[in-house]
Amino acid sequence: MARKRKKHDAPAAELPMTPMIDVVFQLLIYFIVTIKPIDVMAHLDVSRPSPEAQQQKLDVPKNLIRIGVFYDGFAMNDKPVPESALDDLIGKLADLDRKQTILIMCSGAAPHEMLIKVLNLCGKHQLANLSVISTN
Amino acid sequence: MRKRDEEMGLNMTPMIDVVFQLIIFFVVTIAQQQKELEMELRLAMAPDGKAVEKKDPRTINVDVDDEGRIYIARQRLSLPALRAILRQSVNRHGQTLPVVIRGDLSARHEYIRRVIDTCSEAGLWRIKFAAIKEKA
Repeated sequence: MARKRKKHDAPAAELPMTPMIDVVFQLLIYFIVTIKPIDVMAHLDVSRPSPEAQQQKLDVPKNLIRIGVFYDGFAMNDKPVPESALDDLIGKLADLDRKQTILIMCSGAAPHEMLIKVLNLCGKHQLANLSVISTN
Repeated sequence: MRKRDEEMGLNMTPMIDVVFQLIIFFVVTIAQQQKELEMELRLAMAPDGKAVEKKDPRTINVDVDDEGRIYIARQRLSLPALRAILRQSVNRHGQTLPVVIRGDLSARHEYIRRVIDTCSEAGLWRIKFAAIKEKA
């Protein structure tokens, strides 16, 4: 005679969701408050003379466009240029020939920001052949 | 029998609570550690610079603060130490390794120049300057 299996009325396992949702919201709020968005970075390419070339006497061709970067301002082909006019001048140069080499001569005392400004303006006008040399 | 079945049910709520508390603890402490390690580097703005799209995984990031201190991966280095690291990297990966110099905007160019010259001495010529294209 087959034995009837006794059915147990076990309560269905239920996961209480309320505390979990509470904690998830706490985490969400924490991340929203503390998240620090990342700045978009730019990389400015430059060409550098080799160390051997640096040791040699630096002969800069006279027809080359030279941008001087100093502690207190800029110069183009040895003539002082106000910062406001630099953008226009570089733009005009770029209109002539975008493949020309621009020699950026940066003084040792110039803050790095000044060099970045010039590189940024050259980038703006799509001048890609940029050579940076340091002067004393 | 019924009572025993009820006791067998595992109460998940405290376990999930504890797990979330642990997650919060680790997230908070890691964020604080990161803040402590973060260097106070203020990068210059270059809104027209080329945005970093694909970064070469071999890229060496060299940080230079406003007083000319040099760091790689937040580790302060002397110039000879930097030279040794760069030479080692060149021996391992070749001279096409890109170097990104992240200079503080007020760092004098002579500090940046020291790093550039050290790169050149090690035979590295792919030098870029990091700047912020877009503030978050």
